Amino acid sequence: MLKIFWLLILLAGFAPAAVGCDLNDPDRDIQRLFPGAKVTYKTAYLSLARLGGEKTLRAVEERLGDKFSGLYETIDVPYTLYTLYQDGQLAGYIHGINQKGRYGGLQVFLVYDPDGVIVNFYYQKLTSRQAGKLRSPEFAKQFTGLSLRDFLSYDVLAGAGGSAGAQVIKNPDPADRTDFLATLRAVKKNLILMDLFVFNKGAQ
Amino acid sequence: MNIFQVACKNLLRRKTRTLFTIAGIMLSAWVLVTLLGFNRGYEQSLNENIEGMGFQIVLTAKGCPYEAATLMLKGGTGLRYMPEALVRDVAGREAVAAATEMLMHAEFDPNKGENGGTTVYLGIDPQTYPAMKPYLQFNQGGWFSADSAVEIVLGYEAAELEQREAGDMMLLPGSEQEFRVAGVLKRTGTQDDGMIFLPLKLAQNIFNKTGRLTMLGLRLKQEADQSVFEEELYSLPDVQVVSMAQVKNTILSLVASAKVIVLSIAFIAFLIALFGVLNTILMSVFERFQEIGILKSIGALPKDIFLMVLSETALLCALGSLAGIILAYLFSGLSEMAVRYFLPFAPNGRLIILDWPTTALAFLSITLAGIAGGVYPSLRAAAVRPLDSIRSVD
Repeated sequence: MLKIFWLLILLAGFAPAAVGCDLNDPDRDIQRLFPGAKVTYKTAYLSLARLGGEKTLRAVEERLGDKFSGLYETIDVPYTLYTLYQDGQLAGYIHGINQKGRYGGLQVFLVYDPDGVIVNFYYQKLTSRQAGKLRSPEFAKQFTGLSLRDFLSYDVLAGAGGSAGAQVIKNPDPADRTDFLATLRAVKKNLILMDLFVFNKGAQ
Repeated sequence: MNIFQVACKNLLRRKTRTLFTIAGIMLSAWVLVTLLGFNRGYEQSLNENIEGMGFQIVLTAKGCPYEAATLMLKGGTGLRYMPEALVRDVAGREAVAAATEMLMHAEFDPNKGENGGTTVYLGIDPQTYPAMKPYLQFNQGGWFSADSAVEIVLGYEAAELEQREAGDMMLLPGSEQEFRVAGVLKRTGTQDDGMIFLPLKLAQNIFNKTGRLTMLGLRLKQEADQSVFEEELYSLPDVQVVSMAQVKNTILSLVASAKVIVLSIAFIAFLIALFGVLNTILMSVFERFQEIGILKSIGALPKDIFLMVLSETALLCALGSLAGIILAYLFSGLSEMAVRYFLPFAPNGRLIILDWPTTALAFLSITLAGIAGGVYPSLRAAAVRPLDSIRSVD
């Protein structure tokens, strides 16, 4: 055990970290995404590797209905969780994830109220031919009021299912579904991870 | 029983004092080995970093931000271009062993963050650039399949951000074309990690910069005199010459002053070890005044007493140095992390290099300094008169 401890200490400086998903300018972005009285926040870094490892990863994949894949969607990805406070009271959360899109990476942030209901949706980064339409306020508004319950039965591979609220989310460009479906997968993954990190910790 | 065994037994009789003395020497040796290792590692890593850039000289238009970070800070503006004819003239000179042309380009990406951001591209010559940067290794895929291929190569962090793998397609801000990802580079710790590379001609074409270049990387022949060649380049109009030798010398001269402080600390550690040993052995001699007298009265010669005390000193120093060296090896990773945290500029690579010459130097210098510190107490012990020691019993 002691040997492993020393080995870990010696290797700590050399291990390359996986990429996370942080807000570019948290002070400014949080105030913009969560308008109202002055918001203060706490930042926490979480990962599946530290929250049960492989077992937790499998559980998340099962709920998502898809495998984590590729070079970058790995067990050691650090997820950044912003916990928001207004007047010293818990006001909500902001959490973002990276998602592979058709032509580049998507960074999808969701703003939650303290009960896990989405109050805002934000693409921090998007490389897509339909970027303009996807980044429109009308598209973002469709996610407001939804929660994990609406996406539990949503099939990320088929792009079908979900509650009535989830099913009415409209693709702004029906001719190209790839980035729209990638966005819905990102939303469902974000919701599942938030359930794991915050709302349903005891169920791990 | 020989003198050495007597010395060992003497040390074991006062275990606590022996342990504390060894601990003091061990800490001094640890500091000394680590500092000597840093002295060697920093310079070596800096050399490797600069040589790893692949170029000895970079030629850019005057005032052009030739580093991606500078370009980003300037919001992607301020790029200046050199005429191709001038670049070709320099690249064709006698002293040049290899040259590679580059076009850096910054494009505003409206879909980055709330208000958009800048994406930096580097158009490179597929024939010459890879050979000038042999340290670039691929995580996936490889360089462009052809000079005119509509392909890109991504630095590791650029690929992570874009979630791209070899074979994926990608859209680049500033172009309507789709690019195939030919390869993803391994992490290098340099600005290349965040770079998007594309073939030079393609870059010139899609960004409407035909015939324009921002940089020329040069490597000189071994027999060429770099300073003479640089002097020639200084006479060219509107170009700036960035010499990696200059960069290295500037950094090394800055580091030199830090090195003086580092070596002063090492010297102090050395002195602490020396005086610590002197004090401990002297105290031990005073405590054993009568014992030494008795040894002499039963036949021990001054030479035997001198050797006995000096052997104790040598043992203490050797054990302390050895323990310090082991600590230095065990904690070199942590020491390196601490140095990186505190240093304003630290090159990539090993900052603390512990090799046998460094280790041997530290071991010998600490042990010999300790032994030198033990000479005076040994002489005092050798000079003890048996009658005086017996009379001193209360």
